[in-house]
Amino acid sequence: MTTAKEKRYRLSLSWEHEKEEDWLNERSAEGLHFEKINFIKYTFERDPSVRYTYRLDYQGGLNNKEKKQEYIDLYKDAGWEYVCSYGAMWHYFRKEWREGENPQLYTDRESLIALYKRIQSLIAVLFLCNLGIMSFNLSRPGPIRIVILAIYAFIFFALGFGYVKLNKKVKEMTK
Amino acid sequence: MEKWKDMLPLTEAFYYILVSLYVEPSHGYGIMQEAERMSGGRVKIGAGTLYTALNTLLNKGVIDNYPVPEGMDSRRKMYAITDEGRAVVKAEIARLEELLESGKHALSIGEERGT
Repeated sequence: MTTAKEKRYRLSLSWEHEKEEDWLNERSAEGLHFEKINFIKYTFERDPSVRYTYRLDYQGGLNNKEKKQEYIDLYKDAGWEYVCSYGAMWHYFRKEWREGENPQLYTDRESLIALYKRIQSLIAVLFLCNLGIMSFNLSRPGPIRIVILAIYAFIFFALGFGYVKLNKKVKEMTK
Repeated sequence: MEKWKDMLPLTEAFYYILVSLYVEPSHGYGIMQEAERMSGGRVKIGAGTLYTALNTLLNKGVIDNYPVPEGMDSRRKMYAITDEGRAVVKAEIARLEELLESGKHALSIGEERGT
């Protein structure tokens, strides 16, 4: 049997992973089920007979195969099917959609706050890495420096924005 | 000073994980089911919450890896409570008892005075 694959493009931001989940879930409701991701290219499989709830997890420290398998097995025991990963840290799971159910990976406020804080430290690390790369690039002479500065100004703005957004989320939850 | 002293108060998820391991060593799925059963279906620990909690508890030394007994599914990693973990549970129960006692006492006085 051949299955129809379709592609969609979306720039997903680390501090908006819930919006990405919503987007995937809306597609699944239309019969397009997410299967893999390559930077901004999402591959879907068309199948009108099913519908899934997708969830995205951020989990580091899964570099060795055995640890990753343990992680996937635990989620599987809880009814989640592993879909794929993006980089080493982002992992996509799904389970069959059921009317009136809204399954979550994080079921209490404390662990959800801890998740946001983990994502926040990722952004902080990216920020510092880019700062390092930028100072390296700026050591080159010539007018190219203005272009480099402009690119980095944008990157820092985006990362800073994400950091502040997550901060707000955490604050609202601890109020 | 022990690493676990700053853990109190425990979240409901942490509490039920430790309490279920107090009875016997178990794997992640067993802990989830036990927490749901003990709480009469109220506390359902999600996979993400459980996975991160287990890592935190391992780091704090209140639980430990437990060798999977012969004949059991070796795919499922097992956990056991440590002496520190037992101390945490006891300290938490003492804290909860104090809260409960003060609360009940206050309620009975309030009702006597008819307010």
